[in-house]
Amino acid sequence: MIETNCPNCGAPIRFGSNDLPVKVCDYCHSSVLRTGGNLQAIGKVAEVPEDVSPLQLGVRGRDGDRRFELVGRVRWRYADGAWNEWLALFDDGSTGWVGESMGRYMMLRQVAENALAPVLVDQVKSGRLIAVGTPITINGIEYIASDAKQVTCVASEGELPFHAPLGLSAVSVDLMTPDGGCASIQKDTGGEVEIYTGRYTALAGLNATGLRSFEGWPMPAFAA
Amino acid sequence: MSDDVRIPDPAAPPTTAPTPPSPPRSTVRALSCPNCGGIVNVRAQGLTVSVLCEHCGSTLDATSPDLQVIARANQALKQPQIPLGTRGTLNGRVWEVVGYMERTDEDVFWAEYLLFNPYEGYAFLVDDGRRFSLGIMLDQLPKTMLGSLLLLDRRPYSRFGRSYPVRVTFVVGEFYWRVAVGETVIETDFVRPGTMLSCEEYETERTWTRLDMLDWGVAEKAFGIPPRRRNYHSPAPHEPSPYKRQFAEAVVVGLVALFLLGMVSSMAGREQQIIQVTSRVAFDAAGRNVVIRGIVLPAGRSRVAIEADAGSIDNAWVNVDYTLTNEATQRSVRSYTTVEHYAGNDSNGAWSHGDPRDEVALSSMPAGRYDLSVTLVAHRWNRRGGDSVPTTDEERAFFAHRTRDPGDRIATTVADPGAATAPVTITVKRGGAFGGVTFLAFLMIAAWPLIVVFKHLGFEKRRKAPSYSSGD
Repeated sequence: MIETNCPNCGAPIRFGSNDLPVKVCDYCHSSVLRTGGNLQAIGKVAEVPEDVSPLQLGVRGRDGDRRFELVGRVRWRYADGAWNEWLALFDDGSTGWVGESMGRYMMLRQVAENALAPVLVDQVKSGRLIAVGTPITINGIEYIASDAKQVTCVASEGELPFHAPLGLSAVSVDLMTPDGGCASIQKDTGGEVEIYTGRYTALAGLNATGLRSFEGWPMPAFAA
Repeated sequence: MSDDVRIPDPAAPPTTAPTPPSPPRSTVRALSCPNCGGIVNVRAQGLTVSVLCEHCGSTLDATSPDLQVIARANQALKQPQIPLGTRGTLNGRVWEVVGYMERTDEDVFWAEYLLFNPYEGYAFLVDDGRRFSLGIMLDQLPKTMLGSLLLLDRRPYSRFGRSYPVRVTFVVGEFYWRVAVGETVIETDFVRPGTMLSCEEYETERTWTRLDMLDWGVAEKAFGIPPRRRNYHSPAPHEPSPYKRQFAEAVVVGLVALFLLGMVSSMAGREQQIIQVTSRVAFDAAGRNVVIRGIVLPAGRSRVAIEADAGSIDNAWVNVDYTLTNEATQRSVRSYTTVEHYAGNDSNGAWSHGDPRDEVALSSMPAGRYDLSVTLVAHRWNRRGGDSVPTTDEERAFFAHRTRDPGDRIATTVADPGAATAPVTITVKRGGAFGGVTFLAFLMIAAWPLIVVFKHLGFEKRRKAPSYSSGD
């Protein structure tokens, strides 16, 4: 853990993980990049708009028997809506993402690029979209493409593995299996293809504590 | 004055980035409609994509910070039966009504409420005008079996009719997708009693929803509207037959009744011999009358069986008339029978015909003392070419046997074919199976399950009849 001050506004900032190079300052919303011992404010990011997500930074949860804490969030937008991706920092230092869309949750972890057939990686890199309904095998598991869309970053907060300025765009393909498994293939602006696999889960399945409370809504039994 | 004194804990890490505890905020955010200025309550901020102002009907873009108008409208909107913002508890979960739409397949119309809970996400409350179903979007794909069968959670669902277009006819409230009146999706339904899997296809998207039918009155009670009246005239495709349970009950009750019937009829049905009398009657002479007095029938109503056995007659018949008279009331019941036996040889070989023994049953006889009067009239059959002396080998052997063993009981009851009289044994029995009565009781017991079965089949026929013409 590194505790220091924002190079832009001087507010105290904290890097909880040595492996996450970006931290959005809670006060001035500067994106602070840490390279070695150097800190650099590389631009401002938009404040995350108010939403009714029960998740927030600091929520602790469990994926199977591995505990994590939500340390960062990127909010993405596409033509017909928006969703959150929460960065989960596991106790062993590894990271995963909790996707939150339309009131549903996905627990995802990045897998190596070679989990996907090179021809498909090339297809995504070349910008040709994968048609909905296409069967795609990742690490030996067959998924069906359920959605493919162009997305842009709306806002971000907390610690992140990359700088997520407003307007950062990506191509995102969602996939699912008959038994609740899901995957996501993303191509960022640099043309890099990233592959994530995981599963759909109810909020209860995250075994989360520290959820946000809302006026007039009882905290569900599983989070009490 | 506060007594709360905070002592710094040296073990605790210094708080570097103090985050102020955020007080619980309301999920509802009141905005004003940029078209009509009316208050628009956004209940799922951040998730809601479209808002339809309930005052003017304008479609607003909830993904823009200031609710940009997408489609301007100025019309008074009708109110959904369950008003927006109403909360209700279904299956232990609190839901708030945030959106309402009406849809049609061009044949029937139905309503769908969009329900929201910040911790549970979304659900649909579908109202077909009779019954409510609770829909949850699936986060898994059902497996396709043999074309028209689907498998979800190891349960089969059968396809209901063809895919059909579904059009939105009315919308108000907020939705997590872009809604518009006139928007059409292609829907395909798969059903099993109580549950429907509905697949909606729109452009490149395909979503699966699982709809569970709620019991009568559950949704109405949860959201505070008057309960719907039960009727089964036009069932929903996934409506469980209300007769299935009734049928199970009818079968159980029927089986118990059948068991009891069996017990009663086997107990009451045990035959009891009251008396046996043997009398000889002369052939082709005046009849003989035998009177048996003092036959006692117990309380209730019982069956009386009277058997006439003229076992030994050959080529002869005996007319038997019975009169059973109640000694007290002198009411009598009459019955008769004929016992007969004929045998001989012709060009086709040996033949025999007739039964020298017959039973007459009188059911439901009231209790009391009875006299039985039996009139016997015996006749010999005058065969052409009369072979009244044993001529065949068989007959010769028979008589030889009789001669050799005069003490044989059978032999003694077998009359000489040429004898002038025939012995007739009358046996009076009480009780015995009430064939007709038992069958009637069985029919009555079976009537209820049968009626329920027909009702069930009728319900299933109506349920499976596609209610929409566009799909055919």
